[in-house]
Amino acid sequence: MKSLDPRVNRLPVPGTPGKITPKIPLDQFGSYEVFVQPKEGKPFQHEGIVHAPNLEMAFVLAKEAFTRRFTCVSLYVTDTRDVFVSPLTDADKNAYDMISDEGVKGNDSYEIYHLAKRGKQHVHAGVVTAGSPEEAMWKARQTLNTKQVFNIWAVKTSNIRKTGEGETILWDTLPEKKFRDAADYKGGDKLKEFLERNKS
Amino acid sequence: MYGGGNTFEGIKTDSVAQEDPQKLAAFEARIARGEKIEPTDWMPQLYRKQLIRMIEQHAHSEIIGALPEGTWITRAPGFKRKMSLMAKVQDEVGHGQLLYSAAETLGKSREEMIDDLISGKSKYSNIFNYPTFTWADCCFISWLVDAGAIVNQLANAKGSYGPYCRALDRICAEESFHLKYGHHCVIYLAAGSPKQRAMFQEALNRWWPPMMHFFGPSDKISVHTEVLMKWKVKMGTNDDMRNQFLDMYVPKILELGFTIPDPKLKKNPDTGRWDYTEPDWDEFKRVINGDGPCNKERLEVRRIAEERGKWVREALKTSKTAYVTPLA
Repeated sequence: MKSLDPRVNRLPVPGTPGKITPKIPLDQFGSYEVFVQPKEGKPFQHEGIVHAPNLEMAFVLAKEAFTRRFTCVSLYVTDTRDVFVSPLTDADKNAYDMISDEGVKGNDSYEIYHLAKRGKQHVHAGVVTAGSPEEAMWKARQTLNTKQVFNIWAVKTSNIRKTGEGETILWDTLPEKKFRDAADYKGGDKLKEFLERNKS
Repeated sequence: MYGGGNTFEGIKTDSVAQEDPQKLAAFEARIARGEKIEPTDWMPQLYRKQLIRMIEQHAHSEIIGALPEGTWITRAPGFKRKMSLMAKVQDEVGHGQLLYSAAETLGKSREEMIDDLISGKSKYSNIFNYPTFTWADCCFISWLVDAGAIVNQLANAKGSYGPYCRALDRICAEESFHLKYGHHCVIYLAAGSPKQRAMFQEALNRWWPPMMHFFGPSDKISVHTEVLMKWKVKMGTNDDMRNQFLDMYVPKILELGFTIPDPKLKKNPDTGRWDYTEPDWDEFKRVINGDGPCNKERLEVRRIAEERGKWVREALKTSKTAYVTPLA
């Protein structure tokens, strides 16, 4: 392969050009859901997913993928399989009306998320104490069911990798990275000067 | 932000006829109300198939598009330009990640998508099969190719599929920096020495034909296109997008004193649309089918990255995690 890019020319060429070495079945990482708290006092909201080999790596990759540009004060990730999902409703059907199973009772802490509007993100609504995700949704139905929601998620708090104390320094340098800001590229003066020069 | 004109698979229209008419009606009513479709909602097979194809092409375009620009990071003029270009390229790769996730919610795994890219089965934006000879080529991409992609993406962000719209909202927010940065680079070349001006003019001459190809050939308004537009998968015709791009950016290019290499290019005062020399669609087809200046290199770079990363993925793999379809 001959490229304009000398780094490409230096690449070793493993395998056969145009062919992918067959992979072991499902040679891919697990899926993790990412939640971001954009500002102090605001609730966490679902932002998307990352694929990672474990919870810790998921946290690192999520930091890179979702908090590089936008304001963030805290981040957490959880294995997609640990998210318990209610049925999705529409029109004026409240997702809480579909919750009837009280499930196994207990004293674990569960985080509850609501989808308040179809097409938007799931937002953290509160914490309940329960023994199973079913009971968590049942309890949320009693305490957090204040207006119509279209979907509910419940995650056991201990399954979440939260931002630890002292880790918030991860985002301290964000405001310094002005070169990532549109406001740092004001070409107006240069353009005006150029146009003036051309006129004369 | 790199997504260009999409090529949709020509599927026989009777593929909609086999769907349950009641569910189809409810689905179409939901879209007509302006509501988004979420991954667990019922959807016609054709909708799922075309969305996977479109979002996947868009994701591939982001990561392949990072290559012609990425090659200039070490040679960008000055420290600040290097930093900004690096940040921009990182953004683009990040956009690829967001888009792959959105496509995954429809049931195609990321691994399958990467394999289809490397084997040449999936397409990406054709424009990235052209080389960046000079810094000015890189500036052309940062400003005008991004601008073209923004036109497409702002339209698509109003589409009907929830996860894709949410990914696009994030992407469009980051793009404002890219566009400003690209324009800034070009202003500095335009206001610079005669040599700098000539360098950008040459880049413009090289990139104009692929830029006109970028939005794709004129759509034949078939029943198929109508269905995709009704379902808000396709938000405007390719010609509409091209026209909107010309409207917004031709004046900005001319303002900088450059010449667009198309003598027929002018806005028709009667129709309000741009007249231009018909792009060479034979070249477009030839390049998209693999015979462009850089097709082989682009795919080879991705394949080598995949091969070289293999041992890392294997070393990190544990039975404790499993790939599952993302939730939203």
